[in-house]
Amino acid sequence: MMLNPGLKAEHYKAAYDAMTIKLGLDKSYPEQYVRWIGNTFQGELGWSTLHNRPVKDAIKEPLKNTIILNIFVIILELAITLPVGIKCAVKRGTRYDNFWQVFSLITYSMPSFFIALSLIFILAIRLRWLPPGGMPLTIHGRNFAYYLSWLKYMALPIITLTIISLAGTIRYVRNAMIDALTQDYIRTARSKGLSEKVVIYSHAFRNALIPVSTIIIGAIFSLFYGAAITETVFAWNGIGHVLVKGLSNRDFMLVISMNLFFAMLSIIANFVADITYGLVDPRIKLE
Amino acid sequence: METKTGQDPVLKRQTGILQSFFSMIKRLFVKDKPQLSALEEEAIQTPAKTVMKNFLRHKLGILGLVGFICILAFSFVGSYLKPINLGHMETTLRNIRPGYNYLKYPSQLVKEGVKTISSGVSFSVGLSQAGNVYVWGTQPVYLLEGFSTSIHKIPEEVKQANIVQVTAGDRHILALDDRGKLYGWGLNNFQQAEVPTNLQSKLNSKQVAEIIGSELYSAVLFADGELYVWGSTMANRLDIIPAECQGHIVKVAASSNNMALLLDDGTVRTTGIENVFRRVPEELQDGSAKIVDLASSYRAVLALDDQGELHAWGDTEFGILNAPEIPSKVKAMAAGKNNMTLLLDNGQVVYWGADHYNQLRLPPRLQQKPVAKVFSTMFQNYALHEDGTLTAWGNKGFLFGTDEQGRDLFTRIIHGGRISLTVGAISVVISVIIALFFGMTSGFFGGWVDNLLMRFTDVVMAVPFLPIAITLSAVVSGKVPEMIMVILGILGWPGTARLIRAQILLEREKDFVLAARALGVKYYNIIIRHILPNIFNLVIVNITLRYAGSLLTEAGLSFLGFGVAPPTPSWGNILQNAQSSAVIEYYWWRWLIPGLFVVFAALSVNLVGDALREAMDPRANQK
Repeated sequence: MMLNPGLKAEHYKAAYDAMTIKLGLDKSYPEQYVRWIGNTFQGELGWSTLHNRPVKDAIKEPLKNTIILNIFVIILELAITLPVGIKCAVKRGTRYDNFWQVFSLITYSMPSFFIALSLIFILAIRLRWLPPGGMPLTIHGRNFAYYLSWLKYMALPIITLTIISLAGTIRYVRNAMIDALTQDYIRTARSKGLSEKVVIYSHAFRNALIPVSTIIIGAIFSLFYGAAITETVFAWNGIGHVLVKGLSNRDFMLVISMNLFFAMLSIIANFVADITYGLVDPRIKLE
Repeated sequence: METKTGQDPVLKRQTGILQSFFSMIKRLFVKDKPQLSALEEEAIQTPAKTVMKNFLRHKLGILGLVGFICILAFSFVGSYLKPINLGHMETTLRNIRPGYNYLKYPSQLVKEGVKTISSGVSFSVGLSQAGNVYVWGTQPVYLLEGFSTSIHKIPEEVKQANIVQVTAGDRHILALDDRGKLYGWGLNNFQQAEVPTNLQSKLNSKQVAEIIGSELYSAVLFADGELYVWGSTMANRLDIIPAECQGHIVKVAASSNNMALLLDDGTVRTTGIENVFRRVPEELQDGSAKIVDLASSYRAVLALDDQGELHAWGDTEFGILNAPEIPSKVKAMAAGKNNMTLLLDNGQVVYWGADHYNQLRLPPRLQQKPVAKVFSTMFQNYALHEDGTLTAWGNKGFLFGTDEQGRDLFTRIIHGGRISLTVGAISVVISVIIALFFGMTSGFFGGWVDNLLMRFTDVVMAVPFLPIAITLSAVVSGKVPEMIMVILGILGWPGTARLIRAQILLEREKDFVLAARALGVKYYNIIIRHILPNIFNLVIVNITLRYAGSLLTEAGLSFLGFGVAPPTPSWGNILQNAQSSAVIEYYWWRWLIPGLFVVFAALSVNLVGDALREAMDPRANQK
């Protein structure tokens, strides 16, 4: 950084020592650790060397981008998986069911970057419908064209993430629904002469929702998780992309804070899932 | 429905007769197995046998198993048969699309009689005695408007003109007709396939001795000893011919960045960038040795003097300067990129140098029939026998194309498969061992041990997987390229541990454990010999599904650059440089082929895992 030719070795040494003291690196490790915990509790996450500003500010914008992206993904995911999963369970063994089974098995076996690259190749390069990646420009002001460009740039990451999430979720919903449909109360409901619609949606689906609720909770919390690979491929300035960039550039304060953030998030998510489980299923009592 | 042949009563009866006939024969030799009821079967079959039987009934599972065995054989047997040289790269051969037809010359060319053959990086051009031009091989570049035309698309004028000379540059072709008109096609990014205007006027007035195509540049040597060079000459300044040479040049040997010029007084001069190529031995400069022929590889030159003596200088790699013992006089010489070829008076071919593309594996035909002419340029070599037939050897092509450093993707995918499959397997083994330890101890002992271990499991589980895996591999990688497998193993166990614990809690309450305890069997033995076999099925299913997951995770991490460290290949890191849209668009083989391999492997493992799970599902056994 200092390229002044007049500087001698001792000047460098002095600057180095001053920096060591300023960053607190002269203290022992336990002391450094305690300081770090103290700072973190006060919301002081440190300085990002990559972005050259406080970590807090550096991840604000990417977090927003990730959340915006994931809102669409979750809406699409639930809008597709719930009806498809139910229909697969009801029409078990038919062509419809088999199609989705094969679909989920294949997409489940695809690395996310492969789905992303294939989509870029088909939709962005061959058909030229969508941009292959990047962030929308913000210079237009907040008019219709501005939101349209957001949608255009978001489309490919959204499709990729939705396909990835569909694979596991459809199977999960289907299996939960099949379990529910084989219960005795379904036979009772049918023998009472209830219509099939009522049996499926009111009796079976409500009970199938108990295991499915875990997935919904997970989905809601995954709003804040960035998809490192997908965001990197599409150069979407999300939190996963920032993590990858931070690691490649050895921006450790950023990486540490983000891991802390993710860990806290998953603890909260687990906690909330446990509580909801108890709320949805009255048979489960939390001790 | 009635028209179906299967419903035909006669046919049905026939099959009935056939069946009873076969079963009669079968009964003669094979002891008939009694039909068992489900309960009887259970009584005499171990659970593992039942699972096996159920699995074998599952068509998709078998398909997956076969697919996975194919992948395993491809990677492991393949990497044994096709060793990889991690340090090798050949940037001249970068980004060439898949093709294995580099040496497949058209038979029409041989029929018409071969006049000359010249090769580019992935194609060759031949001229027949009838004056027809033939091009074979693989298109070396993507076609971009204004920068390149297809090498296979021979211009109409060329087809009509009477061509007397052809030559191939690395990615372009030049042809000269009998009226002194020069044609060019192929890569034209430095106008190397175009005739400059001041050359045109010279072509009109003077006789051409030779046309030369080389890497990104072209040259014409006139009969009066003048040399004209054009194309990419900005860095190597090959277009500047020393004044004392101009007008005296009789032969040119062109390399990527240098040219060796043979003058009419028998001395040699070089041009181009300063390197070992330029260090011409003294005796070749002062006229004490009279040179008659020249050939140059990438950075070495071979010269033949009028006494039949060989002189060589330049880079020593691949032993290219160490000509083998020559039994007879040299008739002609040629040089590929990393190889030298001599044609002897007795019709024998002497060939030495690098062996990256099996160039040194000479076809036996070459030694059996006397050779009249050899054409070796780049990595393809052709020998014209005296009976007019052609023998080709050298680089046959790249089945899956090449990457940005000119490395063969086929070899890299084979070895990448070996690494990816191994890394996935070891990471699963590590995590299953940890999971077994945690799951079994906490499941069996219960109480505070269970509480402690499970809370620890919760902690590890709370750590988000991908971010921490990326972080860890960024920190620890460097020494061992496959470090990622340890990281994946250490992070991946909590789910399996919980599963095992739950299963053990179930098994622990069963009567046989009580019986074992009552007999005074030790705790340790109860766990290992009584409980472990009973949860084994579950563990195997879990391992299989986990293995598919870990293949995908490894690929994803390597793709980001946090997995297996290059140059060691893995399916993921082959794709590492494939993220730019230029690669996605033009060099599709670089991401599509390795990607498909990952999908295929993960899919086949998932199919096996699914089939196993269904085979173990007790509900599937209900008859």
